[in-house]
Amino acid sequence: MYHVTIPRILLALGLMTASCAQATVHVFACEPEWAALASEIGGDKIEAVSATNALQDPHYIQARPSLIAGIRKADLLICSGSGLEAGWLPVLLVKGSNSRVQPGQPGSIMASDFVNRLEIPAVLDRAQGDLHAQGNPHIQTDPRNLALVANVIAQRLQQIDPANAPYYQQSLAAFQDKWTKAIAGWESQAAALRGKSVVLHHKSWAYLDNWLGLVEVATLEAKPGVPPSAAHLEELLQQMKANPAALIIRTPYADPQPSEWLTKRTGIPNAALPFTVGGAPGADDLYSLFDITIRILVENMGRQHE
Amino acid sequence: MFDWTIVGPALLAGMLVLSTHVPLGMRVLQRGIIFIDLAIAQVAGLGVILADAVGWEAHGWEVQAVAVGAAMTAALGLNVTEKLWPEIQEALIGVLFVLAASASILLLADNPHGGEHLKDLLVGQILWVDYQQLLPLAGLYALLLMCWFGLGERMPTVGFYLIFAIAITASVQLVGVYLVFSSLIIPALAIRKLSPRYQLPVGWCVGLLAYLLGIGLSMVYDYPTGAIIVCAMVVVSVISAWTLPALLHRQPVIEN
Repeated sequence: MYHVTIPRILLALGLMTASCAQATVHVFACEPEWAALASEIGGDKIEAVSATNALQDPHYIQARPSLIAGIRKADLLICSGSGLEAGWLPVLLVKGSNSRVQPGQPGSIMASDFVNRLEIPAVLDRAQGDLHAQGNPHIQTDPRNLALVANVIAQRLQQIDPANAPYYQQSLAAFQDKWTKAIAGWESQAAALRGKSVVLHHKSWAYLDNWLGLVEVATLEAKPGVPPSAAHLEELLQQMKANPAALIIRTPYADPQPSEWLTKRTGIPNAALPFTVGGAPGADDLYSLFDITIRILVENMGRQHE
Repeated sequence: MFDWTIVGPALLAGMLVLSTHVPLGMRVLQRGIIFIDLAIAQVAGLGVILADAVGWEAHGWEVQAVAVGAAMTAALGLNVTEKLWPEIQEALIGVLFVLAASASILLLADNPHGGEHLKDLLVGQILWVDYQQLLPLAGLYALLLMCWFGLGERMPTVGFYLIFAIAITASVQLVGVYLVFSSLIIPALAIRKLSPRYQLPVGWCVGLLAYLLGIGLSMVYDYPTGAIIVCAMVVVSVISAWTLPALLHRQPVIEN
């Protein structure tokens, strides 16, 4: 045990002192897409860590010591907000007791506050399932939202680290330029998808559907967060036989069984989309994330299940 | 070397949980009702969901009152069944567990926010604990321990069940069911072969050592704290069960 443990401790101590000396801006992201976006803007001036990885459901996470340590030294906190992290972020903020990243401070960004949110319930009725009162929080599936959040990140980084403000301005401009071109590319690749109907596992894709013009015709979970009932699946099956959708989509952390079940009975293909950075092999940054998402959609949409 | 402000509350929580759970666990093992903590915790959760389902929006101490009330009702029921059918007590406890769990799912089909209550009640995470939460727990446990050791052998069965229900309802919310189960059963297993006068102090030490080791490993390797403590508990207890009888007694004393 010794020969492994000691270097790990030394490494940890070394990293701590090294990062103190360089005065890097520490970014603590709740989800990997925000760490990736911050890195696009901050480059080597920042050090970004993510509390969750793409294969974890960001609604729930296990408490690890590094999460508290990460919050303590964070200069900038970036989360999706809208209640997505309600189960763990408030307690983590209390445990971290870091005034720089408390709500309302320049060091706190709740990304969904800065985009046009979809699915804000008109009436909050808890019989409707695990609904988010502030709207659907999974905003990162529309790249235009990332462009909006990038502006906020750049502005906050300039505020927190004025010495490097020109750098952040330049890299924001470079990012927006490249990103706008990339979005145009994805939109032309996905032009044929417009109007196609999809079945969702969980309501995670509102923004993607809105962006690409996909039509959500049904969800496997009758109510968000509640496993499907036999009656609901039967109803879904009848609906799909009468009006087959073109694709069933889910997140990488969702249980594949319900979508496989529906595929077997209806022949409608199903696919797991990466959802965020790291959610599929090769989806290592924001660009490849959308490259792969569009590719999977185009390849699978309407494909006959054999 | 460690940042004690991060893991200090977790260690204290562990020590508090051990203070009541090691003596309770010895009794649980003796009676052969191993899964009683899971059943009681599940019923406490069910109580909160029921309160929610009938439209009573409980918060704070009210949730606690409902949870403890449900747990104590279940404990009283188990006290009766033990008197009536002692030979099937463990089986009945198992049935109570699955019944409470399934009833929760049925009630939750229409009420996912009750599900959040249930999660809060069953999967407390030891690392999230802070000192403010530990104060009431310390007071409560001091009271329970006073009853427990004050009454000693004169403790009636119903007293055991009630103390157990209260202790479990409190600990499960802080550290979660896995840690509660391990803190009850694993140290009690490790000290089974020791002579009675060593059992309780050694049980406490075994538990404490496991929490220290688990929390240390969690800090160094950044593992989820609760899960690694459970693993450390098994390792420490296996080693203790092997070596301690020979170390403490020249001629091993065979109990039971």
